[in-house]
Amino acid sequence: MNLITVKNVSKYFLQPTRMQVLNDISFEVEKSKFITITGKSGSGKSTLLYLLSTMDTRFEGSIRINQEEMLGRNNSWLADFRNHHIGFVFQFHYLLPEFTVLRNVMLPALKLRRYPVAEIEHRAMELLQLLGVGEQAHKRASLLSGGQQQRVAIARAMINEPLIIMGDEPTGNLDSYNSAAVFELFRKMSAEKGQTILMVTHDEDIARKSDQTIHLADGKIDEIMVR
Amino acid sequence: MKILTDIQLAAAIALTHMRSRLKQTIVATAGVTFGIMVFVFMVSFITGSNEYIRAIAFDQSPHLRLYNEVQTAPGTIIGKVMPNTVNMVDHVKPKDVLPGLKDGKHVVQTLALNPQVAAISGSINAQVFYRLGSSTINGVINGIEFDAENALFNLQSKLTDGSFKELSTMPNSVVMGVGLAKRLNVKTGDRLALTTENGNNFFVTVVGTFKTGMTDIDKQQSYANLNTVQRFLGVPAAYITDIKIKLHDMEPAPALSLELQQKYGFQGSDWKQDNAAILQGDILRSLIVYGVAVTILLVAGFGIFNILTMMIYEKMKDIAILKAMGFSDSDIRWIFLVQALIIGITGALLGLLFGFLCSWGISKIPYKSDVMITLDHLPVSFNAMYYITGFTFGIITTTLAGYLPSRKGSHVDPITILRG
Ligand SMILES: Nc1ncnc2c1ncn2[C@@H]1O[C@H](COP(=O)(O)OP(=O)(O)OP(=O)(O)O)[C@@H](O)[C@H]1O
Ligand SMILES: [Mg+2]
Repeated sequence: MNLITVKNVSKYFLQPTRMQVLNDISFEVEKSKFITITGKSGSGKSTLLYLLSTMDTRFEGSIRINQEEMLGRNNSWLADFRNHHIGFVFQFHYLLPEFTVLRNVMLPALKLRRYPVAEIEHRAMELLQLLGVGEQAHKRASLLSGGQQQRVAIARAMINEPLIIMGDEPTGNLDSYNSAAVFELFRKMSAEKGQTILMVTHDEDIARKSDQTIHLADGKIDEIMVR
Repeated sequence: MKILTDIQLAAAIALTHMRSRLKQTIVATAGVTFGIMVFVFMVSFITGSNEYIRAIAFDQSPHLRLYNEVQTAPGTIIGKVMPNTVNMVDHVKPKDVLPGLKDGKHVVQTLALNPQVAAISGSINAQVFYRLGSSTINGVINGIEFDAENALFNLQSKLTDGSFKELSTMPNSVVMGVGLAKRLNVKTGDRLALTTENGNNFFVTVVGTFKTGMTDIDKQQSYANLNTVQRFLGVPAAYITDIKIKLHDMEPAPALSLELQQKYGFQGSDWKQDNAAILQGDILRSLIVYGVAVTILLVAGFGIFNILTMMIYEKMKDIAILKAMGFSDSDIRWIFLVQALIIGITGALLGLLFGFLCSWGISKIPYKSDVMITLDHLPVSFNAMYYITGFTFGIITTTLAGYLPSRKGSHVDPITILRG
């Protein structure tokens, strides 16, 4: 069973002039795979990822995730869907600077309310330890280094055990050492918990190590490499 | 259930935001506090004064008055005799009638049985000259039956010297307004002359003085027994000029006044007519209070609007991240609305507290007024209604001030921010 089914998706930007950014995109993603999206700058990688993230629903075609159609859903349904099923890691880590590291990781789970608060805190702590930033848990997030913050962001993306973890160049802002480390963490997660990973990257090495690479050129799928 | 925990979470985030902007938060709260405080204080103080002025005026004015006025006769006699011809009569003079109320005593007895009537008094109001030595002062003498008049106006409490008792026991005795006594330079026990409109002279003895607080009355009026005044004027014992009535419920006074005027053919007036100026002043003063309070609250509301709008600009990134995590538009709205509400509620409660303290403080300040004899402290009105109004006011302004920014925050498009 496919986890993600993208069918004939096109996307236009109307500002400043009408411009087609994605052109008739179709592909499928199976559960528990590590997918990378590559392509030249401006080819539409981020645009595609944000469509898949359910934060952008202004497109033509069909995107089904976990058997649910995303087109035409209202804001609160989509928010709830993201909360349950999608974890996001950004290029610029983006933690909430005034909250502690632990609290940052707990927030998506506090919103979900699947577990009581004590249980959520326990899980967040475990994740932070797993990612090697357990000692930082009670610091304010803004005090951490870039590499540390990105690990915390990964922990935050995983706290609700989502079906999919998405990243828009999550290693793009890190040096090669941290970049490799973060990639390994993603790898481990998808292997251990059976999570699907969808990552936009410029890094050839990372793309080569993934299960499947979707290469975009000028808003079209240039080729899909399955390894 | 989920909505409750969602709001709770939004509130927790709101609190963290506010803690990191403590100074601005305190300034915004202080703005609301100040607005509500000034409102509560001004309403309490101004209403207190209004009530005091009303109390004095109303104490002196019955709910309803019936009297006769000398009027030009409607039409002429020749007009009645020859109704079908054109009659010209120049300079029609008012009829020389006594201003007495026809059957007055009887009307008083009848009305006393009316269930709406709490107290009633029939009296004579006559113009006289008070003379002592070479000074002659134009004034009024009030012929009363003390018990009835006292039931209406609580005369006893206005006595500053002597007593009202002797009015009925001592012939030709009067109780005089303090202002009048001062002008004539007389005191209790002194004798002076009194001249009626018809030119008759009598010697009277001052057996007491009174002070109502209304300068006009205190400077012109004295009280004497009804029989005494009737004797001065040379009128029969049934003669009275005024019927004054206190009702159990003062609201229907104007309607009842009209009814009685028609029934008995007297002139009449009621407390609303008699105190129109005071009542109008009340309304104007309330308008000023509300105007000032609304202005201050608008400024305070603008402060809240400002701090939240700034917060939202600073927190664009946070909003985008929260949305990516799965926070919905309304969760985001709550985060900012809760901040406005916390500022509003805290500010309003503190405002009520300080407003109360100010009012209480000022009500303890000694204040001596020559006009208001019974006043020894500044008059302040304490009424739960002002506090409820003030609180509601504060919450409404802050909610409105918080609503627009929070809506703006909830509409932030996360993608434009996250794509960097
Ligand atoms: N909000 C927008 N309005 C108008 N045009 C946009 C908007 N967002 C993106 N575009 C355009 O769409 C195209 C694809 O942008 P996108 O960000 O998806 O590229 P990308 O492949 O992620 O590039 P990069 O590797 O540099 O991040 C670009 O030409 C960009 O200018
Ligand atoms: Mg991009």
